[in-house]
Amino acid sequence: MEKSYIEKIQIHKTNKVAGLHPATKFLVVIMYTICTFVLSSVSLTKIDLPLLAIPWFLVVLLLCAASGALKKCLKALKAVVFIALIIFVVQTFLVPGGEVLVRFGILRICEKGLRTAVSLSFMILDIAGIFVWLFQTTENKEISRALEESGMNYKAAYVFTSTLQMINILSDNSKTIMNAQRARGVETEGNMFIRAKAFFPTLVPLVLGAVMGSEERVLTLEARGFSMQGEKTHLFNLEKSGAEGTFKAVSILITVLVVVGRIALWIL
Amino acid sequence: MPGGAGNETVKHFIKEEMPKGIPGCPKNVDKKEEIPKGIPGCPKCVDKKEEMRMEKKKYSIKEDFSMLALLIIPVGVAVNFVGGQLASLLKLPMYLDTIGTIFASMLCGPWVGAVTGALTNIVTGIANPVNFAFIPVNVLAGLVTGFLARGKMFSVWWKWILSMLIMAVVSIVSSAPIVVLVYGGVTGSGTSLITAAAMAAGANIWAAFFGTEGIFTVLDRIISFLICWAVIKVIPARTLVKFGCGSNYIKEK
Repeated sequence: MEKSYIEKIQIHKTNKVAGLHPATKFLVVIMYTICTFVLSSVSLTKIDLPLLAIPWFLVVLLLCAASGALKKCLKALKAVVFIALIIFVVQTFLVPGGEVLVRFGILRICEKGLRTAVSLSFMILDIAGIFVWLFQTTENKEISRALEESGMNYKAAYVFTSTLQMINILSDNSKTIMNAQRARGVETEGNMFIRAKAFFPTLVPLVLGAVMGSEERVLTLEARGFSMQGEKTHLFNLEKSGAEGTFKAVSILITVLVVVGRIALWIL
Repeated sequence: MPGGAGNETVKHFIKEEMPKGIPGCPKNVDKKEEIPKGIPGCPKCVDKKEEMRMEKKKYSIKEDFSMLALLIIPVGVAVNFVGGQLASLLKLPMYLDTIGTIFASMLCGPWVGAVTGALTNIVTGIANPVNFAFIPVNVLAGLVTGFLARGKMFSVWWKWILSMLIMAVVSIVSSAPIVVLVYGGVTGSGTSLITAAAMAAGANIWAAFFGTEGIFTVLDRIISFLICWAVIKVIPARTLVKFGCGSNYIKEK
């Protein structure tokens, strides 16, 4: 049977974790971030390494796997891991202070350097990782609808959705313009000065076209009653997967346990 | 809103006329009440008059976000994004990812620019959450450029150079603490290799950062600004007047 347009644009997710309401996912992200900060203040071993932040990263992988999007998330995590790795290496070898632990030639690893390296890189990995989970399992349409549901102005929500569309449109346009300018003889290879000069004939027509286009879009939107006051109806509605309550309760419970545990460690 | 601008002019017109003795004007009412009590010059009235004059000069934030400005925000974000992409495609050692922010704030004022900047880092943060930490840098770039545009700092060539320097300084100063404190001096971009090398040679982490980023940020701002200027030059006057600060760039004939 042919589906109607309204049925076609709805998003149905069979996975309970991936189908969580965006607001619930956001709560999980916030709770996880709080836990990360608390956990990385705990130091273990005799040179005070904040090692607890490392196993904590498994939670991100677990969430990704439970959402059935492990492959997609790992792909997005690559960039984060790369940055964390660079930070780790640089910090380990370059920050002086404390006892020298290992020495090879001119490179040496100091106590303080290793400590900042572990805490910085894993804190970044943890926090960035949980955001990767949030955005890889949630579609942009869902995010903007959830923003609107949480009381955000519909104009602001429109700006958000429109931004995501605009990026695709303009990056396609830029490729077209660049190819066209290359065909006309604009050089894009050579020394830095020549390459910097190639920037102008690509970007200027791109921006100009976008500005003139937005003038027309104002007219289109106004003609459809965009700035009219009154109640708006929605074609796209968010669904709940049914596991919202459990996830909220569990994430809050874990955070409370972690915070209580940290305070207990201080007192004891 | 189209048509909104017309209404505003009418409102200002009425407000300006009020103190000149239209019945019901607060000035007349106040005088009757206050002067017998011995307050010279009627401060309430002067205050209001002053306020009105200020209001005429001041740009209100709500008016800044007109329909056209709302649609310029996505364009600005996309231009930021594409600029960054192009810079890495052409292998330039600069980010060039604030062109859209500068453009939006030059046309629509500081607040639209700030929103463009924040949204850029939020949207790019979806793909690479490291960018979330740099939201303040981009917001500040938008605010500073916007206020410079309102102060008509883009009219003469020596003012250009001054404002470019201000923009570069603000962005270096605001990004330095984030790079050094959050990421320990290295973010994985091309220039951070130079910073790392300088650190390895024994330079202070702050000095290493300011030295390498400083040069490239100034270059970055010069190119970004020149692109915005080239675009604004060719936008026809009938479109420019629709933007908050657009009339600053129209040459009087």
